[in-house]
Amino acid sequence: MADTTMTNKGGLSGFLQKHKPEKAPKEPKMSRKERRERFKKRLECLTPEEQRYLKRKQVTDAVWPVFRAVIVFGLCFIILYPLIFMISSAFRPSADMNDPTIMWIPKHYTLSNLKEVIKAMDFWKTLGNTLVLNIGCSIIQVLTCALTGYGFARYKFKGKSILFFVVIMMILVPPQIILIPQYMFFRYFNPLGLWHMITGDFINLINKPVTMYFPALTANGLRAGLFIFLFRQSFMGLPKELEDAAALDGCSPFTAFVRVMVPNAGSTFLTVFLFSIVWYWNDYYVSTSFFTENKTIALTLKNLSSNIKVLVFGDANAQVNTREIIVWMEAACLISILPILVLYVCLQKNFTEGIARSGLTGM
Amino acid sequence: MKRLNLSYEKKKGLYGYGFIALWFVGALMFFIIPLLQSFYYSFHTVTPETGYLDIRPLTSGGKTDIFLNYKDAFLKDPNFSQYLVEVLKDMALNLPVIVVFSLFVAIVINQKFRGRTFARAVFFLPVIIATGPVYAIITGDLETGGNNEAAQFSTMFEADMVDQLLEFIGIYGFGDTFTEMLTEITSDILNLVWKCGIQIIIFLSALQGIPASAKEAAAIEGATSWEFFWKITLPYISSMILVNIVYTVIDAFIDPTNQVMERLLSVQSEWKYGYSAAMAWSYFGIILIALGIIFAIMNKLVWYDD
Repeated sequence: MADTTMTNKGGLSGFLQKHKPEKAPKEPKMSRKERRERFKKRLECLTPEEQRYLKRKQVTDAVWPVFRAVIVFGLCFIILYPLIFMISSAFRPSADMNDPTIMWIPKHYTLSNLKEVIKAMDFWKTLGNTLVLNIGCSIIQVLTCALTGYGFARYKFKGKSILFFVVIMMILVPPQIILIPQYMFFRYFNPLGLWHMITGDFINLINKPVTMYFPALTANGLRAGLFIFLFRQSFMGLPKELEDAAALDGCSPFTAFVRVMVPNAGSTFLTVFLFSIVWYWNDYYVSTSFFTENKTIALTLKNLSSNIKVLVFGDANAQVNTREIIVWMEAACLISILPILVLYVCLQKNFTEGIARSGLTGM
Repeated sequence: MKRLNLSYEKKKGLYGYGFIALWFVGALMFFIIPLLQSFYYSFHTVTPETGYLDIRPLTSGGKTDIFLNYKDAFLKDPNFSQYLVEVLKDMALNLPVIVVFSLFVAIVINQKFRGRTFARAVFFLPVIIATGPVYAIITGDLETGGNNEAAQFSTMFEADMVDQLLEFIGIYGFGDTFTEMLTEITSDILNLVWKCGIQIIIFLSALQGIPASAKEAAAIEGATSWEFFWKITLPYISSMILVNIVYTVIDAFIDPTNQVMERLLSVQSEWKYGYSAAMAWSYFGIILIALGIIFAIMNKLVWYDD
């Protein structure tokens, strides 16, 4: 029966099918007791140390997965708790917050929280603003940081170690320390010291988008030090022969950088771009100092509670129980992190692997 | 046109300057000069006037005393040195916990089990959110607009964490003292887990860098996982422990919600720029010293695989 079905299959596989080695007869199913006895018999052939090792391994192999599952599940729950709470409370009416019988699943569903929050935050316009600023700054910053990182990775020049020390300092020094001089710089902007001489006045750059773009353009945006460092590490990891070959083929260093090195460091570019987006998205420190007029998500979220009070209770100073206003806050949090969350879920590997590979492991 | 006669090396060096030129201009404007300025401010009284900053030398009792701001910060300020000690103490306590915990988590999620990818994604999630105002709302740090129940924001998800977890998986009515004890632990764990994202990733990649030959050799010799950890894992990742320690210290240090930072910002909002600059610089100096000590100690313990 088996032969007739196999004959039309030619070649090696057919041959192998035909001449299958006979299956070893199945061992009769052993009861638990028998198996334990066989294990004991096997143990008797081993030295006492080996026996101890095997026994211990048996126990840990049985216990550890359970223990591990409990730990991983517990910790994941702790991390996800705020998110679960956010989702759970964003869709329930405010009154349900005071209902002790409701823990996770609300009795009534409502979209009015979301609608009110979207109105209070002027969400779509804010989102547009944030996206333009974020993506613009991030793209510029990634390019300039890559240039700088490459310069530090591959070229020898006088004062390089001092300049690289400055990069490290950029990571170390908290932005708050240099805030006031920076503010003065933007408030009384004076190109080359000439503007004041000619016009007798200063240019006020505060609340202009240039306060965000200008630092990004000169590789000094948010956390630029870290990005330069990451790029340097990843370019140092690429083989030198790449540029030598390019130089032999008549590339200038800059063309070699653009056409050979950049394509090879693609994953670092993506990682840095993603982190740049995340940090610009979350930043409210720099924007509250230099760029308050621009409504970004982080900024409106920070000022949300009074806006919500105006919209819902008709008075910015209304004494409202925190528990009652929570649903709006949570709804606002939800829609504010949703874009970043989607980005993270889609590109999760690039976030984690980028950090792991491009930078620090090569130190 | 006359061509410059330069050696190949020098020409290459010039290209190097070319590559970093843009950054250098920016760093000069946005970093180096402001940094030096704030250093200069720290030895003067600085008050803002329209159009300029009024910078005057410090005087006490008719005599100029350029270190007055520093003396004030450490000797007169009621809170500054106390906060400083507290921040350093917190750092010293949290540092080992964070490093050990993230190492433990990294080892656990480095093993093969179902849902590993999901677990990794979840553990890194705090890095995405923890820097922003969303985290501030979650933990209740942000002022809620004249509302004195702001603490409820934070307690809302710390208080009944254990009960919630148990009820979530279907266990009701646990002993009160037991849950209370666990509650304290979990609220700490929450803060811990939210601070460890990057460290876990760094350790994870270090663990994956342990060569297979070392693992094999250990398995053939019959090493228990305990021995394996101390004799194989730890030496191989020791350099990453140093990296993580440095990262953790810096992270805690530039965190705008720590007490010294808050004090510093409140002084800044009182327009005492010189004074706040002095505070900032002494804080910075102390952290640099702390980092230097850590480096000196750790560098002897780190094992490099050459």
